[in-house]
Amino acid sequence: MKFKAFLTDHGVALLERRFLPAFEKIGKTCHVYLTPVHFILLHNVLNSDGVQAIAQFSKDVVFDDYRISSQNQDRIAFTVDLTLLLRALKSSVSIYGDKLQVKLVRKRPSLSERPMPYLTFESKGLKSAIIQDVPISQPLNRIDVQELQSSLDMAQELPRTLVQVPELQHLIGLIDRIGKLGEVLEVAVTQYGDLHLQVSQTMVSLGSEYRKLRVIGVRADPTSMGSASSSASRLQQALQKGEASKVFVNMKHFAKSLQCHLTRPDAAFCGVGAVDSCLYMMFQYFIPGTRQTDNTISLHYRLPVLDPGGA
Amino acid sequence: MDDDAPDSFDLRCLLDNVQGMVDALTCLRWKKQQDAICELSDHGLVITVEERGCLQARVYFRKELFREYDYQAEIRPKFGVSLGLLIDSLNTFTSSTGTTALELCYPGPDMQMILKLVDANDSCIYAEIRTRIPDIIPHDYVIEDDGGIPISFAVKSAALKEALDDLEWPGSSIGITVSPVPPAVTFRGEGHGDLQIEFPYDRQRDLFIAFNCHHEISHRYKYKFLKATTAQIPGSILKDNRGSKLSFGANGLLKVQHLISVKPTLTPHQHFYDPSQAQARVSYIEFYVLPEAESDDP
Repeated sequence: MKFKAFLTDHGVALLERRFLPAFEKIGKTCHVYLTPVHFILLHNVLNSDGVQAIAQFSKDVVFDDYRISSQNQDRIAFTVDLTLLLRALKSSVSIYGDKLQVKLVRKRPSLSERPMPYLTFESKGLKSAIIQDVPISQPLNRIDVQELQSSLDMAQELPRTLVQVPELQHLIGLIDRIGKLGEVLEVAVTQYGDLHLQVSQTMVSLGSEYRKLRVIGVRADPTSMGSASSSASRLQQALQKGEASKVFVNMKHFAKSLQCHLTRPDAAFCGVGAVDSCLYMMFQYFIPGTRQTDNTISLHYRLPVLDPGGA
Repeated sequence: MDDDAPDSFDLRCLLDNVQGMVDALTCLRWKKQQDAICELSDHGLVITVEERGCLQARVYFRKELFREYDYQAEIRPKFGVSLGLLIDSLNTFTSSTGTTALELCYPGPDMQMILKLVDANDSCIYAEIRTRIPDIIPHDYVIEDDGGIPISFAVKSAALKEALDDLEWPGSSIGITVSPVPPAVTFRGEGHGDLQIEFPYDRQRDLFIAFNCHHEISHRYKYKFLKATTAQIPGSILKDNRGSKLSFGANGLLKVQHLISVKPTLTPHQHFYDPSQAQARVSYIEFYVLPEAESDDP
């Protein structure tokens, strides 16, 4: 099992300033999954509770001179502590030097101990070199890697309808305020491009309705919904017609997933997974200077849904 | 937006400055769980919070404070609502920028209070707050004038708050003495220790805004109720420092009245503030504190 590559400047910036800080907000550790073509960060994908997050980068976005080999179809996966990984990247940035090399090594922490796996960052300056060893888990076995791969494949199944979420900062502000009123958030997405967020408790229900958002996937004509006057009745009608999906999610999960704004996405979409299985949030990044989606980077979150009975 | 509001609302009003309303209501919040009584009338709305037999606070929002005020009820509607919930809900609307006003309607189909704000970009934030039938009618406290002008004084709100905050140390009960010669107001706390704070009246200095006393009076009040009159005044109001007026009834009933400005937030397109509007943008907060029952103290 071998892995060795050079991190590109863009790769370092992407990870250090954007993706790792966002991942750190949702959990302490994550899986790093390296394949011959992709570098993938996965959080919480082997559990069904909690926010799942998957960031996938084409290897050339992050690395130069990428060399990987393993007996498991040249795929390697392990878990890493996000704080340590971020710290190693941060300090490597502050060293003015040559390229930053990263490789997988096995070292003995002390003579008496067994060799342990590390991800080693090596930056060579003109007169000095700095080596940082970030401890990682034992590489995942074939079965676990397969499981990671299948959850990755599963995550490729997009909801039938996705609506473009309005400005994330606005949403964060809203959730900050309504978050105090309840622990369960009702999220509904209609095929007309409406997004409803609502929190209810015995004495108050508070929510927000965003209308005429951009729709990806299955859409319906908004004129078909008749003359409903209030947002609640509009949603009710859409649900009855099967042109909307509604799920309940944990307010904290939703708030955490909004931390994705740290990755500076250019567009964010929200949808409900098939048979109301999860709330799906997808983020797009544009090729700098254009409005074209950069397909070499992708990020999405999946939030577990709560049983409405418990809501 | 496209909502055809039913004509059956007793009240439908539009409010520009939600923050002002939040600030004013926050002044009344001296504990976590508080039930407020809201009374609507042709003149505006009044929200009252009461600690039975000890303390009452009310805030007046005159109809001039609203951009639109459409009142259609025949009998003044009165309903109970949780103060904390009302503040938290209103707070949700304060982040919204732009020129759109918050729409407030009562009653909804299930007697709720409905708040709604529609933004320019078609987003809408709404809240439905359940109300209940009030089980008690708030007492109508009046400062009896005893045939003459009631004893009263007005000071800068910040000075009053500072003095009351300092009196926390002795705690328990606070005596307030207002004397005409020499003209002064004395706050005296006796508890873990003694602390006396004196506000000497001096025409040349601007501590007092008014002073009206023809004979000496002295009454004792529970510290926690006295403190409630200033504890929650938000910094934004204190900075304005319009003044607080304290009046004493013959039986020792203390009325603390704060004047606060509910200025509309200036938008970038609005470079000046119309002074003729200023008077209309003032709202009142009143606290009535009952004196401590007479004890056998010497």
